[in-house]
Amino acid sequence: MSHLDKFKEMRKGLDLVQAIAEADRCLLCHDAPCSQGCPADTKPAEFIRKLRFKNITGAIRTIKENNILGGACGVLCPTSRLCEEKCSAMFKSQNRPAGADRSIQIGEIQRFLVEHSWERGVKIFEKPEPRSEKIAVVGSGPGGLSCAAELAKEGYQVTIFEARPEPGGVLRYGVVSYRFDMNFLEHELEDVKALGIKFQCNSPIEGKNAAEKLLQDGFDAVFLAPGLWDAATIKPDGKDIQGLFSSVDYLSALRDGHFEKMEKNIKGKAVAVIGGGSVAMDCIESAVRLGAKDVYLIYRRSYSQMPAEPDERIEALEAGVHFVLLNQPLDYVTAKKNRLKGLKLVRTRLGALDASGRRRPEEITGSEWTLDADVVIEAIGNKAPDESPEWYPKVDVDGNKLIKTDPETGRTSVPGLFAGGDIVRGPALVVQAVQDGKVAARAIKEYLKQ
Amino acid sequence: MVNNVDLSIDFCGVQFKNPFLLSSSPVSNSAEMVARSFDAGWSGVVFKTLNSDRLPIVHPSPRMHCVDYGSKKEMAVQNVEMISDRPLKHNLTEFLYLKKNYPDHPIIASIMGFFTDEWVYLAKAAEDNGADMLELNFSCPHMCIEGAGHKVGQAFQLLEGFTAAVKEVVSIPVIAKMTPNITDMNEPAMYAKKGGADAISAINTVRGISSVGLDDFVPTPNVFGKGAISGTSGPAVRPIGLNFIASMAQNDQLNLPLSGIGGIETWIDALEYMLLGASTIQVTSGIMHYGYRIVDDMIEGLSDYMIERGVGQISDLVGKALPNLHETEAFDLERQGIAQYDMDKCIGCGQCYIVCQDAAGQAIEWDAESRRPNLIEDKCLSCMLCKFVCPVPDLISHKEMPKEWKRQETAVMDSSLEKDIKYEPFTKEGPNECVI
Repeated sequence: MSHLDKFKEMRKGLDLVQAIAEADRCLLCHDAPCSQGCPADTKPAEFIRKLRFKNITGAIRTIKENNILGGACGVLCPTSRLCEEKCSAMFKSQNRPAGADRSIQIGEIQRFLVEHSWERGVKIFEKPEPRSEKIAVVGSGPGGLSCAAELAKEGYQVTIFEARPEPGGVLRYGVVSYRFDMNFLEHELEDVKALGIKFQCNSPIEGKNAAEKLLQDGFDAVFLAPGLWDAATIKPDGKDIQGLFSSVDYLSALRDGHFEKMEKNIKGKAVAVIGGGSVAMDCIESAVRLGAKDVYLIYRRSYSQMPAEPDERIEALEAGVHFVLLNQPLDYVTAKKNRLKGLKLVRTRLGALDASGRRRPEEITGSEWTLDADVVIEAIGNKAPDESPEWYPKVDVDGNKLIKTDPETGRTSVPGLFAGGDIVRGPALVVQAVQDGKVAARAIKEYLKQ
Repeated sequence: MVNNVDLSIDFCGVQFKNPFLLSSSPVSNSAEMVARSFDAGWSGVVFKTLNSDRLPIVHPSPRMHCVDYGSKKEMAVQNVEMISDRPLKHNLTEFLYLKKNYPDHPIIASIMGFFTDEWVYLAKAAEDNGADMLELNFSCPHMCIEGAGHKVGQAFQLLEGFTAAVKEVVSIPVIAKMTPNITDMNEPAMYAKKGGADAISAINTVRGISSVGLDDFVPTPNVFGKGAISGTSGPAVRPIGLNFIASMAQNDQLNLPLSGIGGIETWIDALEYMLLGASTIQVTSGIMHYGYRIVDDMIEGLSDYMIERGVGQISDLVGKALPNLHETEAFDLERQGIAQYDMDKCIGCGQCYIVCQDAAGQAIEWDAESRRPNLIEDKCLSCMLCKFVCPVPDLISHKEMPKEWKRQETAVMDSSLEKDIKYEPFTKEGPNECVI
């Protein structure tokens, strides 16, 4: 396998024998704590039990009925702090039963079952009786797909409006291929498309009142799940700096056909990534894989305060990334033609607790220094576009321009307009967006009955 | 330390350096194989059943299947293999090779014929070429021909007659190998004894069906579209083997040395057969699964057990459990107990709760808050199902309750219906045994 293939393809998942062996280790707990740990109610205890008792199609049905993106979640979920965290098999006691001292690999089993359904051509959903109600879904990321699927399963006429050329949202443009590849995404999208959903790509719902207008254009309800695609930056006027990328642009370039160009930008260069979350981890690890000479992770707090998952952090360290902790980026240094040359940093120390419950980094006066860097990727969070509230002027938003909803229903302040995913939560997990879509779909059905 | 104990055993006057033998099967098909097994530590062999070359022996293909349990492989093995398909001359030459190179490893020749002359012929041939003992195969459950294999094992006069005929022409000891496909093995064993058998070996494979193809509806092994009831072996049949060995060992009239067979893989399995009366044991399925090397752990494990308990001679352990084996009517029903929980060890999976609810006395309450079971002692049946499913060793144990303790009766759902039942108490006197 070439270096490029390795970058573009996920590692193999479990096979049938391995998955059954893993299901065999399950204690089949009475109260299924793993199921309680799933934000999207994918019911792992049920599909593992079904697999254990050779009811394989039933296991696939459990996943697909409860989580239309069960494959993506199986791959991308930080399972160690969701379902697997609750697993009794890894109960940390001195009395660890033999073979039960680590959690069941629930994500791996889930991924296997979904892949197995493709391999065997298992179709779970029957074609429903068509209904007359029309629903518009804005955004084809996890939240939009989930809501659309939930409604389409029952015959509602669903149209998804997607701003980008291809559907998938963050699943297509926001993750690296070796974690979640195109082949997998296309398969999972096939399952969604089979429900009869209409996809309208290259169709951003932007401009004054654009979202609310959908209700006047014949849609009975609208679900807003556009995600967050504007990057936060430490230098708002730095757009023209050559070699400075946002994580959004960097990661989507690796996905949408600009791979070779981006690879050239990185190969043999000194790359610094700013941020401490999972997206930053994707950026640094991919930079290593693309052949960067040195990869630095710049984070203003300490290692244990990084929001990235522990295994991601360790993988990055193992991959040879230099962690530059307790350093606050200040500015960029450029050379001729606005070419990036370095990153100005100041050392920090940890002070008192801040609002997030973590110790606040405080700059150490006089400790400024410059790190030589050819490329800097900012992975310090995504935000709503500044002008986005104009697209739905009657909808209440908060100070960060995130849409306010009732968490039980996804209802916004405008009747018929629902919202979920990152545009409501801020940066969140795929599985949480899936749940938002399910919740909103249920509420939309209720709303349409009235 | 291992040298301090003596694993050697006398079986019908033949000396074995340990009680672990290959049984007559694919694992003892050739001298090349048997030699390697001797090198690995097996003390002797019951060579694959000889045939007289009168009828061609062709094995079906495929000849085996297996039964898995979850992801655990080969809980049982299913086979439709016949007796040796090798020419008698080849097999006898193999005997000479083994006797020449492994003179202190006894060879037991397994033989099977259809009529007296054939049995006699094979017996003589085996003895004349160095066999130390004979094992008469009265028990193969899937030989294709009526009047052979287990059919003989079920026709007791034939069994006695063939044994007597063989005994008449050979001077080496003769073992009769029994089929488990009967209710009471003592009956055929006594016929074998009357015919002059010096020992009994049991069990041969149990008649069974390993599985059925869900697409083609053919039982397995699927021999080109046909299945058959055939021989099941492996760990799944061990309780059946132990039953037959123990019941023959308890039979004072039989009083013959026993060779235990059926699902033996570890020294513990072997020891259990010995504690119930076997003085040698034979293995096939365990080797089919793991190879000859398992004898290493059988020897070392049994030796260490004996050292720990100060047992010098393996023969001292033979039949040790028999005094404790009774009919169920001997149980002291006055003494009752319950399950007892060491809750410090509990991990909260709730499997005990599920089985107690659905298969026992509903004696467990589930505390959803703490994720812990709470035993209502007075309802506990002491079935111990909870202990079996509990993933934590030694969390649940059985404890005796005081004499005055009484278990709650199972509650009647709606006793107001009692007035409607059609019922007379049974009052007739009668014997406590079955009569028509």
